[in-house]
Amino acid sequence: MPPTTSYHDQEHIFSFWPRHNETILKRLESKDAWLSTRRGIEVSRVEDALEHEMTLNIGPQHPATHGVLRCVVKLDGERIEKCVLDIGYLHRGIEKLAESKTYQEFMPYTDRMDYLAPYANNVAWCMAVEKLANIEVPERAQWIRMIMCELARISSHLLWLGVGLMDAGAVSVFLWTFQGREDLYNIFDEVSGARFTVSHSRIGGLATDLSPKAIAMIRDFATRYENIVRGWQKLLNRNRIWIDRNRDVGIVSADEAIALGLTGPNLRGSGVPYDIRTFEPYLKYDEVDFIIPLREEGDCLARYHIRVEEMLESLKIIRQCLDRLPEGPIRTDDAKKAYPSKNEVYYSMEGMIHDFMYTETGVTPPKGAASYHAIESPKGELGFYLESDGTGCPWRARINAPSFTNLQGLESMMEGHPVADIVVLIGSIDPVMGEADK
Amino acid sequence: MSELLKFHFTPADKARPEEENLHAQVSTDVTDVIKALQEQFPGAVTDVSVYAGEHTVFVARENLLQVCTALKETLGFTYLVDLAGVDRFQEDAPRYEVYYCFVNLKAGKRLRIKVRVEEDDAVVPSITGLFKAADWNERECFDMLGIRFKGHPDLRRMYMPEDFEYYPQRKEFPLLGIPGSLPLPPRTPEGELTLDPFAAARSGSPVKSYQEPAANDEK
Repeated sequence: MPPTTSYHDQEHIFSFWPRHNETILKRLESKDAWLSTRRGIEVSRVEDALEHEMTLNIGPQHPATHGVLRCVVKLDGERIEKCVLDIGYLHRGIEKLAESKTYQEFMPYTDRMDYLAPYANNVAWCMAVEKLANIEVPERAQWIRMIMCELARISSHLLWLGVGLMDAGAVSVFLWTFQGREDLYNIFDEVSGARFTVSHSRIGGLATDLSPKAIAMIRDFATRYENIVRGWQKLLNRNRIWIDRNRDVGIVSADEAIALGLTGPNLRGSGVPYDIRTFEPYLKYDEVDFIIPLREEGDCLARYHIRVEEMLESLKIIRQCLDRLPEGPIRTDDAKKAYPSKNEVYYSMEGMIHDFMYTETGVTPPKGAASYHAIESPKGELGFYLESDGTGCPWRARINAPSFTNLQGLESMMEGHPVADIVVLIGSIDPVMGEADK
Repeated sequence: MSELLKFHFTPADKARPEEENLHAQVSTDVTDVIKALQEQFPGAVTDVSVYAGEHTVFVARENLLQVCTALKETLGFTYLVDLAGVDRFQEDAPRYEVYYCFVNLKAGKRLRIKVRVEEDDAVVPSITGLFKAADWNERECFDMLGIRFKGHPDLRRMYMPEDFEYYPQRKEFPLLGIPGSLPLPPRTPEGELTLDPFAAARSGSPVKSYQEPAANDEK
């Protein structure tokens, strides 16, 4: 049997979408090696006599890539010389779909973007529409949204922690964090009636109020998990294996992070204090007491510390919100701008008509209106840029997805590291392909 | 002008810039930056619109690189947050526009600039030389709307495979897609490319093949 030396020789196996593979490989060839871009060392183009070089295709169907991410890497021995990422295997054209949906109809689609924190996406979308159409949101709804957004952040970070450790070889933490996610799912179930894709936020407020049982569950979670997270910190902060796998891996300096456009914990791990919760305070974040964790090392360990500390801060925010939760309506009373309450729909003709009209047409922001609204989702800045043409459907709905912007930086982060660090690096960037591919 | 599409229950009123928005942020008030740009590059800023306390600065295409350089180097907008294209189909010409969202991290300001391009000359200078973060966003914009970025080092499609020949986010692209435009893998190693179910219901064979189309005299 003749030895297969390169990816090209196996071309007959990869005959599907030939032009696509061809351009990726061409890009890989034309790219400069990391030694010359980073260190200015001229890489000589001599014949690879010892056969050290290899082109390796990882993904899209690989469990360690956290979804359908495909990395085509050129290896020199065990070191990654160049890397080309290929995404789009989960592309559903959400932005295009939004143009034919009413504003409220589109909201469930946002659940499917970052499916680890659906509530944060719902809120981001609703707030963007509220800004575009200038809709008021009652106080109580804002506080509840804040609680649920922070729960979503914890849920997302729990998955990142468990899976990240499993990538590094520790399975028990994965089971513990999933226990935490189970508790969170039970809370979401009690609040919205759905465990995973909640779709609970509405334009102008919320679908339903929190039940006393839900409040008790959230309070129990917020008090109980403080100690549990601290316990994980005790286990991991001085864990030799975990630190050795993470320290000095994928270092990004502050300037580089800004240039690459990283957002969220990845940006703050490099020492840039950019968090939308303080940069452009939305909801009631300017009224609660919390800190933004910041590290300056810019490696995977810094990003780990930031996310775990963020979980503790989120618990702190939730406890404050529960103490300050005011009484009152949970949805704005203007039937032209938000759904009327179910009592009104069932017992009055006007309520019925308004409900029907709202489903059929929904809010109609004025023609020519355009606005951008961003929130700090667990992965970073999640922004929606909306343009209206005066109808009930957006003319253009642009989604600025944090996973997409973060993945962009991954390519240069991976170059120069051994293959074994790929899984740790992908984990520390924390991409969700549903969001990156839109 | 051609007849506009009719929509039901459409309020005819236009956006009023002076109206106070409940969700307006301090960070989007960038009047001093716009003033500085207008002074530095007379004629570059073609228009400024305001809605919800957000300024949109329209910049002429030939001045885009100058303006971006000034934004990055002197005005402190070092962080590119978002870049995307918009299809203004059926509006007054030009058809496409590209919007950029910059953030000044030190001063806490957010700025949006827009460049408009004609349909038959949809080329915008690439800003990847100034902002590395623009790389994938420009590729996405090219993939979705077919706007080309002059000077981009690697203008490949972002989401769709290279074998796809359309620009799906243009308004004329059908929502259901074009049958047979993306054949699926064969079911057996030596088999033929298969059709997606939507296309299979409409026609017998894949519309597309990977062979070069035969010239007229070769048939």
